[in-house]
Amino acid sequence: MAIKLTGGEIYDPAHQVDGKKQDLYIVDGKVTHELPDNEKITETHDLSGCIVMAGAIDLHTHIGGGKVNIARTMMLEDEHAHPHHGTHVCRSGNGHIVPSTFSTGYRYAEMGYTACFEPAVLPVNARQAHMEMADTPMVDKGGYVLLGNDDFLLSMLQKNVSQSAINDYVAWILDASQCIGIKVVNAGGVHAFKYNQRRLDVDESGPAGITPREIINKLSRAVHELGVSHPLHVHASNLGIPGNFKSTLATMAAADGLPIHLTHIQFHSYGTEGDYKFSSAACEIAEAINAQPNVTADVGQIMFGQTITTSGDTMMQYFGHEHAHPKKWTVMDIECEMGCGVIPFKYRDKSFVNALQWAIGLEIFLQVNDPWRVFLTTDHPNGAPFTSYPHLIKLLMNRSFRNDAFSIIHEDAQKMSNLASMDREYSLYEIAIMTRAAPAKILGLTSQGHLGKGASANITVYRKQDDVEQMFAKPTLVFKNGTLIVRDGEVIEVVTGVTHVVKPEYDMGVEKSLSKYFDDYQTISLPNFKISTDEMIECIGSEVEVHPCTPK
Amino acid sequence: MQFEHVTCPHCGILCDDLIIEANESSLKPLNVDHPQCTRGFTEASFDSANPPSAKIDGKNVSLDEAINKAAEILQSSSQPLVNGLIADVQACREAVALTEKIGGVIDHANGKFIRANIAVLQRMGKVKTTLAEVRNRADHIIIFGAEVLDRFPRLLDRILSPQKSLGTKNTTNKTITIIDSQAQQDASKSFDQTNINYLRLDTPSLESVIQTLQSIIQSPDQEMEQECETAKTLKGIYQKILESQYTTIIWSTSLLDTDTAEQTVQTITLSIKTLMKEIRCVGLPLGGSKGEITASQVATWQTGVPLPVAYMSGTPIHDPVLYNGSTMLENNEADSLVWISTYSADDVPPKTNIPTIVLGHPNMQVSKQTAVFIPVGIPGIDARGLACRTDSVATLPLQKIRSNDLPVASDVLNKISEML
Repeated sequence: MAIKLTGGEIYDPAHQVDGKKQDLYIVDGKVTHELPDNEKITETHDLSGCIVMAGAIDLHTHIGGGKVNIARTMMLEDEHAHPHHGTHVCRSGNGHIVPSTFSTGYRYAEMGYTACFEPAVLPVNARQAHMEMADTPMVDKGGYVLLGNDDFLLSMLQKNVSQSAINDYVAWILDASQCIGIKVVNAGGVHAFKYNQRRLDVDESGPAGITPREIINKLSRAVHELGVSHPLHVHASNLGIPGNFKSTLATMAAADGLPIHLTHIQFHSYGTEGDYKFSSAACEIAEAINAQPNVTADVGQIMFGQTITTSGDTMMQYFGHEHAHPKKWTVMDIECEMGCGVIPFKYRDKSFVNALQWAIGLEIFLQVNDPWRVFLTTDHPNGAPFTSYPHLIKLLMNRSFRNDAFSIIHEDAQKMSNLASMDREYSLYEIAIMTRAAPAKILGLTSQGHLGKGASANITVYRKQDDVEQMFAKPTLVFKNGTLIVRDGEVIEVVTGVTHVVKPEYDMGVEKSLSKYFDDYQTISLPNFKISTDEMIECIGSEVEVHPCTPK
Repeated sequence: MQFEHVTCPHCGILCDDLIIEANESSLKPLNVDHPQCTRGFTEASFDSANPPSAKIDGKNVSLDEAINKAAEILQSSSQPLVNGLIADVQACREAVALTEKIGGVIDHANGKFIRANIAVLQRMGKVKTTLAEVRNRADHIIIFGAEVLDRFPRLLDRILSPQKSLGTKNTTNKTITIIDSQAQQDASKSFDQTNINYLRLDTPSLESVIQTLQSIIQSPDQEMEQECETAKTLKGIYQKILESQYTTIIWSTSLLDTDTAEQTVQTITLSIKTLMKEIRCVGLPLGGSKGEITASQVATWQTGVPLPVAYMSGTPIHDPVLYNGSTMLENNEADSLVWISTYSADDVPPKTNIPTIVLGHPNMQVSKQTAVFIPVGIPGIDARGLACRTDSVATLPLQKIRSNDLPVASDVLNKISEML
């Protein structure tokens, strides 16, 4: 049984295919370019006038875990303002900014996304994050587990233990939490906030006597040496602070040339020039990315309107709480591991700072030369809900549309940005890189993000339109593992994705010191802290796909 | 056979260090002795030669017959209520799915006790902490109501009086202030540790203590109209908060006056947020003794809104006034009831005249008027499961420590759904 997709223009950057007309076949959920001898075509889709890409991958979107539930609860008005009726296949739900889990899966699939990655999994909250993601249908999922503010790692650094001991702990936590990457949020800063320290710069020692630089350095090396595909995923120090681009550059340098991913880098690209003492440092940041091939970044573009910010960065969330809109805010210290802050926020185009933030994000997109190293995100929901991606794509692909939008933001912000002078327009090929091929590559998902022979048949088909926002908002067909799940932008079949994880090897001896730590200080026993694969399947509700690591 | 690291779901702390001796006829906790911690295990046994049977109108029937009857009742019901939800994550997931399918209302038996915290979270947010932070970081604890320590029997030993902590001697040997008002029984004889300061203040209620403390925090230099002993004592506590590194304020909403609980929780939150401007001070609301944190979390992620949730319009709507489960029953606003109660035989359905379907603990005794009774496995004993802790952060696994033929609640709910 084979499905034939004929006449479409293929955009498959992993194989340097740039709009070539080529037939594809789907056999047993996989892509092939020729019909196998023993297969019969049971279904043919004429894709004349259509663009064909692999299913899109969002490598940074807050879709699961306690902070998302706090955000849902705090945004009751938004939930009720956006009710979603069930259909003969879909469950009902609510919400635009932080939708309920089922709705999240449907909305992503309706935009042609087939995989999403939650970037802030607290180890102690990993079960809940995975349960929420298991209840998010249609897409594959994965998580980055948080380290770098946990008392256990900080005590290891205090004792100056060997890199291999740190590597064992990092591998163990990936295994125990069923995650695919390691994330650091404001390294050491969230821990320092528990001691009432309100700011921590990259080379400043926190209460444990450790600097953020040391934490980033050791963890980026651990991730690299373990052979985990995804580089250390870093939310840098001083989020949102004017002048923070210097700490962002220092954070890049802390990796000592090893792979490092700077997330929502727009929030970390601010200078102190001008009357407002707030300016764009997008140029400095883009230059640094361009000059350092070990550095990747996702942008965290903001869009104007109401949203809610959910972050592990209690220190900087508390700092920003006075800007909450509506006026309410939540901050939590969590389990000697991390924290979280949840603050509703309304970005306004007539606010100088917000308008410039919007421009800074776009400036970064347009000034980073290599689309393989910059990723399309809004840090959902922190910059904007993920459903604004088609609008963002249009801003990147259409200069006159972008300049029209630029011309109505706060006038002083216009004067402080050189966005209007930037000619660059992203091509479909480049969009396919930054939303498909590159995230698959950086996550080590070898069968995703491309349309080569043997790829998982996650395929999105768009009918060509002049308005790319319309086009990307409503694909005509979406296949997940070969099953047609969306037609004309609406879910027609509900499927369940898997959870992508890595299981780097480690010395089990690490559990000796961890057992003592858990017995002496923690409130959960070590065996119950760990999530087994059979628990993922039987209780949490998700199959697990393990991706190989190649230790260095 | 012995099982280690067993999780106890009978209070929101979810201690997971129990050792249970399991044999054919009994389950015996070996390392805890508080009745609240042991009862769930010692009272779980039943005669395996004569296991509890599904019943329709008090008469034994097969499981399939009971499921058919349940589906039939729900099919003909125009305003069903799914209540209880004293259950694990999996059962709560299926309960939400069933409620959606039948266009009903879903709420937890203890729904009213979580409303105040949710309402304040929606209105002003919160500043909270979790158990390990309290154990290791807190040097100063304030507990509103000594009864909190009865409700959460191992809180003092496991969290507030740790053998070791990651901090200093002050975080290991915390200063603990327990405050009662004249409305509470004198509990002074319950505490003999030198680091515990028990106060029974001369005020009519805990709420007035909390309000007075808030006034002091808000305007510390202001002279109180009547500088009574209570005000002086609370000013001393305020001073202690200022001198401490990490003060944790603990309360249980279920022990506050229900009518004013929301206002009281708001007052505590306002106090903490005011203190946060200069120092660290956090809250630790305790609850979840009947699985209400679990049910609330599941409903929130699946529907986008907290309990109670109504599906009559076709989409999930949260309205704590219109759809409060117990009020709906009192006002005859439901015409059928699904009662899910899996942890304790004591949590029987409320008395009602409407057709009631019970998915209950195997030893639950229900009245003969109960339309359908389906005994189900106990999560954490007969079936694996997951439960959310009082701080809404940690989720603990519940082990299966004995084998029998009892059906799992989530499977039963799923089968009923499939028939509709």
